[in-house]
Amino acid sequence: MIQIKNVSKWYGDLQVLNDITEEVKQGQTVVICGPSGSGKSTLLRCINGLEPFQKGEIIVDGVSVNDPSTNLYKLRTEIGMVFQRFELYPHMTALQNITLAPMKARNKPRREAEAKAMELLQRVGIPEKAHEYPANLSGGQQQRVAIARSLAMEPKIMMFDEPTSALDPEMIKEVLDVMIDLSKGGMTMIVVTHEMGFAREVADEIIFMDEGTIVERGTDISFFQNPKSPRTKEFLDKILM
Amino acid sequence: MFDAVGRNLPFLMGGFWVTVKLMFFALAGGIPLGILVGLGRISRNKWVYYPVTFYVNVIRNIPLILVIFWFYFVMPIIIGRPLDPFPSAVISFIIFEATYFGEIIRAGYQSVSKGQIEAGYSTGLTYVQTTRWILIPIALRRMLPSMITQSIVTYQDTCLAFVIGLPEFIRRARIVDTMEVRSIQLFGFVAIVFFITCYIGSVISRRFEVKEKEGG
Amino acid sequence: MYLLQGIWVTIKLGLIGWAMALSLGVLIGTIRISPWRWLSSIGTAYVEIFRNIPFMVQLFFWYYAGPMIFGESLQYRINAIIGLNYYVAIIALGMYTASRVAEHTRAGFAAISRDHHHAALSTGLTHPQMYRYVIIPYALRIIIPPLTTEFLTIFKNSSIAMTIGVLETTFMSYKIDSETFHGLESTTGACLIYLGLGLAVVKLMGTLESRLKIPGMIGR
Repeated sequence: MIQIKNVSKWYGDLQVLNDITEEVKQGQTVVICGPSGSGKSTLLRCINGLEPFQKGEIIVDGVSVNDPSTNLYKLRTEIGMVFQRFELYPHMTALQNITLAPMKARNKPRREAEAKAMELLQRVGIPEKAHEYPANLSGGQQQRVAIARSLAMEPKIMMFDEPTSALDPEMIKEVLDVMIDLSKGGMTMIVVTHEMGFAREVADEIIFMDEGTIVERGTDISFFQNPKSPRTKEFLDKILM
Repeated sequence: MFDAVGRNLPFLMGGFWVTVKLMFFALAGGIPLGILVGLGRISRNKWVYYPVTFYVNVIRNIPLILVIFWFYFVMPIIIGRPLDPFPSAVISFIIFEATYFGEIIRAGYQSVSKGQIEAGYSTGLTYVQTTRWILIPIALRRMLPSMITQSIVTYQDTCLAFVIGLPEFIRRARIVDTMEVRSIQLFGFVAIVFFITCYIGSVISRRFEVKEKEGG
Repeated sequence: MYLLQGIWVTIKLGLIGWAMALSLGVLIGTIRISPWRWLSSIGTAYVEIFRNIPFMVQLFFWYYAGPMIFGESLQYRINAIIGLNYYVAIIALGMYTASRVAEHTRAGFAAISRDHHHAALSTGLTHPQMYRYVIIPYALRIIIPPLTTEFLTIFKNSSIAMTIGVLETTFMSYKIDSETFHGLESTTGACLIYLGLGLAVVKLMGTLESRLKIPGMIGR
């Protein structure tokens, strides 16, 4: 589904991604962890063309992201993304947040978009909040609306950039539950997170990134119990206590 | 090209000097008074807070020109003898600019978060020590860019003393203009001088802003 | 009474100047954040020029030196226009205030995080769609408080038009004093008028702000 081949990226003189190669198959859930500044968020943004990269290739469902002839707007309708700070549009209700893109980018009629939106709100557990503004929602609720907003476009791939890092502890579970649900339902997912409980439960592969490179990858148990690289071990020690 | 300017340069620059003098006096009086005004606005004593707030809100809604007028034409009536334009202008400016500096100071003071002050107390410092070593340095750094910007505004506002006949920069340019009618040169010259000086001023101000962010 | 005529002129100066300043200023502010260097430089140049030169100097330049720019023949025809000082004042006021509005607009856009842009784009919206439905409505609400200050300022700056003879409030109070020596009353009256205008503006913008209010943006 997603093929990343020898991708490198520089911000001026600073290299933030160093020869990254990875493959994500359909239906897989890949978790990326690592210290801040390791390039994880940048990598996500390269996949859906929000950030350019200088070397290498990324192919999403047969489409090359770097190719000048690629229609990035169309590509992004197939990839959903959820952000650390939720980024809900403050001047729109939850429902409007969700229906905006389907109506404008896919020209769906309002009735249809709203019906789908209500269905999604039901799925993430907060249908009663449809007409609330983001400011009146808790962090966990906002993030769930954000997830619904991305799902409204029926993407093939969902990417999550530290979705629970900005949440109070009590609210982390409700968001993770939605994500676990999504993963078990067969969605292809890339998740940048420190929530190792989540990783243990649904990850097909876990990647540890540091300073722009993939240091180690493994599946689940092997990763946690026998980390091969010392850096991985150091990092896991810090976050798993 | 700028021959009219060249011919009258001494006269014009004399006006510039008056402008600069006016600015210095206005700041020398306005900033200290502004500090008092700022403190008054923070005060919890209602005999201080209400009158000062009233004064600030009234003055900030009136154009400076009107204040200058009021002072020049009305004060003689009250004190019984005519005023010279320069002192009159200086006093008007001091009264006016003090309100703006006062607000900057109040904002700077209030921007120091309670947490930082509490941190000071919790390490055993007294009220005076905390104020001296924590509150004031932080507040000053925050206020500095705004103070510089406001000083530049005062500098630009000196033009307004034109209306009471003060022979400052732009009035002199106008006088030359009525004789020589080389308006483009003359007012262009005035504009360029102001542009260069103000631009340098804003660059300096930005330098301080960056420094404060880094140190902050 | 003279003062009443003056008030009407002041109001006209302020409102028409403001209309000009808003349209021009928002345009320039938007240009300043555009990705094309040449376009944003024009915007930056405009703002820097009009900000660093005192308004009165700009006014004098346009009024005295302006007609000369058009060359010999047009110059005399322009200067013969009745009420020229009034029109020049409005234009100068508009152009000056536009530079300040541009700054506020730019700051408003800058306050919206890049991730917010990314969030909108990641749902498949195009750039124009993103600006239209997400960014601009948000930025608009952010800039209302600073714009209120500018609106107030434009009325105050209108008084400077008296230096080129425009018959507005401050000029009138001076006139009354020179004719009747009742300067104290006339200038006090003028002060009250400006205070009144100020209150009206604050009230107006406050109503606008509450109409457009988004929960969570109170106090921004």
